[in-house]
Amino acid sequence: MTPAEIGATHAPGHAPHGDRAHAHAEEYQPVFTGAARAELDALLTRYPTRMAALLPALWIVQRERGWVSEGAMTEVAHVLELTPAYVKGVVTFYTMYHQHPVGRYFVQVCTTSPCGACGAEDVVRAFLEHTGTRELGVTSPDGKFTVIEVECLGACGFATPVMVNDEFHESVTADRVQDILSKLE
Amino acid sequence: MSEAKMITLTIEGRQVRVAEGTSILEAAKAAGVLVPHYCYHPGLPVAGVCRMCLVEVEKAPKLAPACATAVAEGQIVHVHSGKALEARKGVLEFLLINHPLDCPICDQAGECELQDYTFAEGRSEGRLIEPKRFNPVEDFGGDVLYVTNRCILCTRCVRFMDDVAQEPVLNVSERGDRAVIGKFEGQDLTHPWSGNVVDLCPVGALLSKDFLNKARAWELDRAASVCPNCTQGCNIMVETRDNMVVRLRPRSNEDVNKYFMCDYGRLNYRWMNRTDRLEAPLVRHGDRLAAAEWEVAIDAAARALEGKRIHAVVSPSLSNEALYLVARILGRGDGTGAFRVERGPEAPLPGVEDLALRADRAANVQGAEMLGFRRSDAPLAGLRGGDALLFVDADPSVLDVGDLERAGAVVVIGTALPEILRTADAVLPIANMVEEEGTFTNIRGRVQRFLQARAAPGMARPSWWVLGDLLARLGEPGSYFLASDVFAALAASRSEFSGLSYDSLGLRGLPVMAPAGAR
Repeated sequence: MTPAEIGATHAPGHAPHGDRAHAHAEEYQPVFTGAARAELDALLTRYPTRMAALLPALWIVQRERGWVSEGAMTEVAHVLELTPAYVKGVVTFYTMYHQHPVGRYFVQVCTTSPCGACGAEDVVRAFLEHTGTRELGVTSPDGKFTVIEVECLGACGFATPVMVNDEFHESVTADRVQDILSKLE
Repeated sequence: MSEAKMITLTIEGRQVRVAEGTSILEAAKAAGVLVPHYCYHPGLPVAGVCRMCLVEVEKAPKLAPACATAVAEGQIVHVHSGKALEARKGVLEFLLINHPLDCPICDQAGECELQDYTFAEGRSEGRLIEPKRFNPVEDFGGDVLYVTNRCILCTRCVRFMDDVAQEPVLNVSERGDRAVIGKFEGQDLTHPWSGNVVDLCPVGALLSKDFLNKARAWELDRAASVCPNCTQGCNIMVETRDNMVVRLRPRSNEDVNKYFMCDYGRLNYRWMNRTDRLEAPLVRHGDRLAAAEWEVAIDAAARALEGKRIHAVVSPSLSNEALYLVARILGRGDGTGAFRVERGPEAPLPGVEDLALRADRAANVQGAEMLGFRRSDAPLAGLRGGDALLFVDADPSVLDVGDLERAGAVVVIGTALPEILRTADAVLPIANMVEEEGTFTNIRGRVQRFLQARAAPGMARPSWWVLGDLLARLGEPGSYFLASDVFAALAASRSEFSGLSYDSLGLRGLPVMAPAGAR
């Protein structure tokens, strides 16, 4: 990935999206109500401090909302008795938390050296073409797909591995891409 | 701590004895050895993230960070050994990977630790050929600008906001080479003490908007002083360029302000440079005031005061020396003196005990009260018909025309001549606090010296000089040659100040003898 592409996927904290964050704050609906709240409360019993539950709490947010907005960071901070700045530091540290909305299917293609040698570039190109996203990190017009490149998915013996949300596909080649996509709603 | 175990160790061949638990870095400081460092600051919790203070400890398997390693008995530490120097050279090379090396346009140049240590221990040439990552400059709110590219991520600013200001609005965002100091959308550095992050930043990443592009560090003249903007008495450095005050910065004093000063005090300095100043002594000739020689003006002032009861209205930001001399003028008869204090909201710095921007926005309220001046919202209430009014640099908004008509005579000693006081009989121009030497007594009764930082305009003279000459003309022992002589006379005549002298005060000050009710 080039730095520009990284920026498109995980814009730095100071990227000028303040207006949107602000607009979002006005209509913010809390995540931690009902079942999600109960889930978090159960989690909290497993950790010595509320702070320790930060990563799983953020996972709940991402599962419920698809991404972690600044409003959600504020809510998590409030619930876990942390500061929004601290939560933001954690969210931006981990690349697997989305700071922007992504497609319903989040496609991660491994392009590290062994996969690169086995044609990962072609796989990426096929995904960009068949999902209609055209660019890395961009969500398709129908809101269905986002495709990014990732570093090692730990399946070098089965290059090229691809993750679609939590589902793992091994030995993917460019001509299998359409088949994988056709099974998705 | 009084019974702390003492540890003896050797640093760069110098034996030093320090309390158990002291870091190698602080022990080295005690031994007179500077260990280069960025993230360590004595006023902040230890982080150990910059790796710049790596030193070689004999018999230890690897280099130790001096800031986070406690001393041990018999330890032998090499700060400048080949191994340590090589390691720090490597650290510097990494710190400079994405640093723009824009020293020629950087405000920090000349007072930048990255510059200093790179010059002392870094490579003379970079080996990096890859492009540097770029991030835009960001406005952090308050007086603070963040120049992201220059940041070395020492996290001093983050720790200051977390632990000292206790308003944690800063964080480290992102990671690896993308890491930057971040803040949460909409949460700015608006804490009244947040300007300290600019001083704490060892490089040019956090800059003062007020000082931006104003001067180069090496063009500045510096004078040790005391902040005149509230009764806390933070020790400061007054920095001038071409006789203009361009910046106030905190000067460390363990007993008063540690390493910090508030933004209100820091930014309230423009009055020191005001140009509408009294520049010559003035004497009344019929219906107008005319410039006169000092001797003539002192004479006119003395004649106006003589034979009348005197009521003085003084500024609570006058020095102890000036107030002492005014008190002596009043003491010749049954004179009275009063002052009014401007007030504002108090703003404490939570992480430091007993440190706050105080509600009383004047430097020497304590000193004025100790020297017998009465605090009042109507300081002219004590002016009886026919009294001589001695108006010493006080806020003219306390005056109305009626007061002046009631007065038998009006003598103004001040830095400026407000319109309402143009009916005065004599006007004597004095230096403001950065143009003269003196002492203030702070809210806790600590007497602290301030030194002259700029030249007074025109014929204006230090307040103690003018008041001393006036006292002498009134027939009292006066006419002092030095501010220290006035202070010596004060110390000899007032029990609270006894034993104190400019020499014993030094530049950190000393508490007065506990006067009743002052402590």
